[in-house]
Amino acid sequence: MSLLKITRRDAATGPVLHVAGALDYDQAPALRQQTAHLALKPGQCLVIDLSGLEFCDSTGITVLLAARQQALAAGADIALVAVPPNTMRILTVVGLDQVFTIRPHADSN
Amino acid sequence: MDILRRNNVTVTGSADGPVVMLAHGFGCDQNMWRLIVPALAERYRVVLFDYVGSGSSDLTAWSPERYSSLQGYAQDVIEVCEALGHEQVVFVGHSVSAMVGVLAAEAAPERIGTLVMVAPSPCYLDDEGYRGGFSAEDIDELLASLESNYLGWSSAMAPVIMGNPERPELGQELTNSFCATDPDIARVFARTTFLTDSREDLKKVSVPTLVLECSQDAIAPREVGAYVHAAIPSSRLVTLDATGHCPQLSAPEATAQALLDFLGAQR
Amino acid sequence: MSRVDEEPEPTGTGDEAGTTAAFTALLEDSAEELYESAPCGYLSTLMDGTIAKVNATLLSWLGLECAAVVGRVRFTDLLSIGGKLYHETHFAPLLQMQGELRGIALEMKTAGGGRLPVLVSSVVKYTSGGEPLLIRTTVFDASDRRAYEQELLRRRQEAEQARAEAEQARMEAEQARQQAEADRGRLADALAVLQKSLLPDALPALPGLEAAGYYHTASPYQLGGDFYDLFPLDEDRWAFFLGDVCGKGPQAASLTSLSRYTLRSAAHHAPEPIAALTTLNTVLHERFTNGGDPRYCTVIFGQLEPQPGGHVTVRLASGGHPSALVLRADGTAEFLPTPGGLLVGILPTAPFATAETTLAPGDTLLLYTDGLTEARTGPARDSLFGEDALRTFAACQAPATAQELITALSGLLESFGDGLDDDTALLALGVPTHPPTRPATNRPG
Repeated sequence: MSLLKITRRDAATGPVLHVAGALDYDQAPALRQQTAHLALKPGQCLVIDLSGLEFCDSTGITVLLAARQQALAAGADIALVAVPPNTMRILTVVGLDQVFTIRPHADSN
Repeated sequence: MDILRRNNVTVTGSADGPVVMLAHGFGCDQNMWRLIVPALAERYRVVLFDYVGSGSSDLTAWSPERYSSLQGYAQDVIEVCEALGHEQVVFVGHSVSAMVGVLAAEAAPERIGTLVMVAPSPCYLDDEGYRGGFSAEDIDELLASLESNYLGWSSAMAPVIMGNPERPELGQELTNSFCATDPDIARVFARTTFLTDSREDLKKVSVPTLVLECSQDAIAPREVGAYVHAAIPSSRLVTLDATGHCPQLSAPEATAQALLDFLGAQR
Repeated sequence: MSRVDEEPEPTGTGDEAGTTAAFTALLEDSAEELYESAPCGYLSTLMDGTIAKVNATLLSWLGLECAAVVGRVRFTDLLSIGGKLYHETHFAPLLQMQGELRGIALEMKTAGGGRLPVLVSSVVKYTSGGEPLLIRTTVFDASDRRAYEQELLRRRQEAEQARAEAEQARMEAEQARQQAEADRGRLADALAVLQKSLLPDALPALPGLEAAGYYHTASPYQLGGDFYDLFPLDEDRWAFFLGDVCGKGPQAASLTSLSRYTLRSAAHHAPEPIAALTTLNTVLHERFTNGGDPRYCTVIFGQLEPQPGGHVTVRLASGGHPSALVLRADGTAEFLPTPGGLLVGILPTAPFATAETTLAPGDTLLLYTDGLTEARTGPARDSLFGEDALRTFAACQAPATAQELITALSGLLESFGDGLDDDTALLALGVPTHPPTRPATNRPG
């Protein structure tokens, strides 16, 4: 089992969370906690870098949606970057490819 | 349940003679009577038994609830009589068993026709106007000594007792197991024996009763024998010229004779 | 070191002198002195226990004067109460019977009120005629031995206590385990009833259509969030839905219940698939928009309308749900794609995708939740069964009646074993090649 590892850095536009490992029933809550403690400012953009993501199930999707709600509530935006193909497929099935801003690379704007 | 097996009942003597039931006291078993059984067996049907918890009884039948009161022991007596189908039994109780006989006679009058109380005591504790022979401190010390189990009660610590080549009837088997007692059971029996005050029960005795005491008894002093005799109007008091608390062992001939005299006079 | 060139000293003369002196001293030691000052206590009693003679050693141990003892007290008077009782009931009778006793543990009273643990040995002296005359007794101070025995006893009691405590703990753990097991059993029973309440008791009989459903519960202790239903809209038309709410447990079950009843009531007011999903979206979004984790579901809602010639038109809408699959009478299987439909409940207004097809006799429509396609088929985390494999599997079954398809798929689910760790709902709707002779119904599995 791949353990979830979340690393944070702050870019000019706002916090960037690099997520590596699995977002599943057991581990997704860790990301939920991490994002819940982010103090986002209006106009910032929370970037979630999924380039290291190996697995994502519906609980992972829920956590990403929760992060989105939180960002919007703070007047900030959210973007998912480097979404792996299998996760991209899930996002497409549930229509979230239209809801999230999705970028190919962390440094792309 | 097989009562005869539970209480290790032994029946001997004259097949159609009157029934004499011999009941041992605290810390002992039916071997206590072996020296006087031959004298009784000629004319009487002799019933020997061990209370549950003593001697070779079925220890699995023992429970602290039942045997924490003398009534539990009296129940053993009644059940043995019932199992044998005996009525109007001559009940010979040694020491605390004398009071067990009183209770059994009260609970099942048809079973017990005559009482013989050997070195009895209805209350071991001194009281106002009554000398039982033991102070409260004595009883406390006695129970404490049983708690700490360093006297010879327990079979684990029982002394190795030698056989006696001059008395071959006392085999090694008997002497080594003589009155060995499970320490937990002994503690319960001791509490029941030494903390019970049965003086009131004496007044209810109506059957012919022989009170047999020793002239020197460290456990049941002469005053107690006199007290018991006075409390039971239908009683006769005989004082044996014997030392100790166990005249059936220290003076078997005199004890047997006193018994036979009393029973002969009853007929 | 000794020097070898020297004559050896005559040896022994000094030692011999010492030994001789010692023997002389011993010989001068009177029997009386030996008796009085022996390292053990001596006493002799008459047969009734009256003390006739006692040595100084025992008197000093007990703190007594000879004059106060000899002829005045009995041996039992020197014993503690426990010792006295034991003496009367055991010691004296045995001595009477055997004439001799050795090493009996008793306790004696000292003048100061203390207790002296002793080991006592006694022997009866008989007259030439064989009559018992007196009792000779030796008394050994057993304080050290008693202390040792008490230590042993204390250790044994501690060990017994520890054993009893361990046994008690084991019993309590066992009771707790049995209680927990009973509780789990009751929980599972309650959950099974609840779960069943979220599904139709039995699928209704439809004219010209066969329906079959199946529900796989991943855990008897966890409520799943999958649901389906099939019901008439009016005399000609029927509605169906199958969905999956996010999460598990009681919260998911309440969301499931809300979704199911909202869709059923919406279907009667605005039966168009898009309208039904829009109503559900509004209800869920309003209900859960205030804080907490997002609550949403994926669902396909559809209408069935019989056509002349035994055909049935299917019009459906999907909100983020995996595409339905159609098995044709000609043995092919194809998805009925609904791309772009969004999860229901996360946005105030949501796009839903629609699709339409006609089922000819022999055709069967399959709706499923992602428990089926996301079942693990290999050791790797992401080796999932997948949609392509599902289509291939379905094509192998085609043509199949609704019941045949459900039977095959429930077998497939079973074959996943531990790989199937999510609840899975299946609903199949098929047009029989011949009018059915009996209404086909199916209870949820």
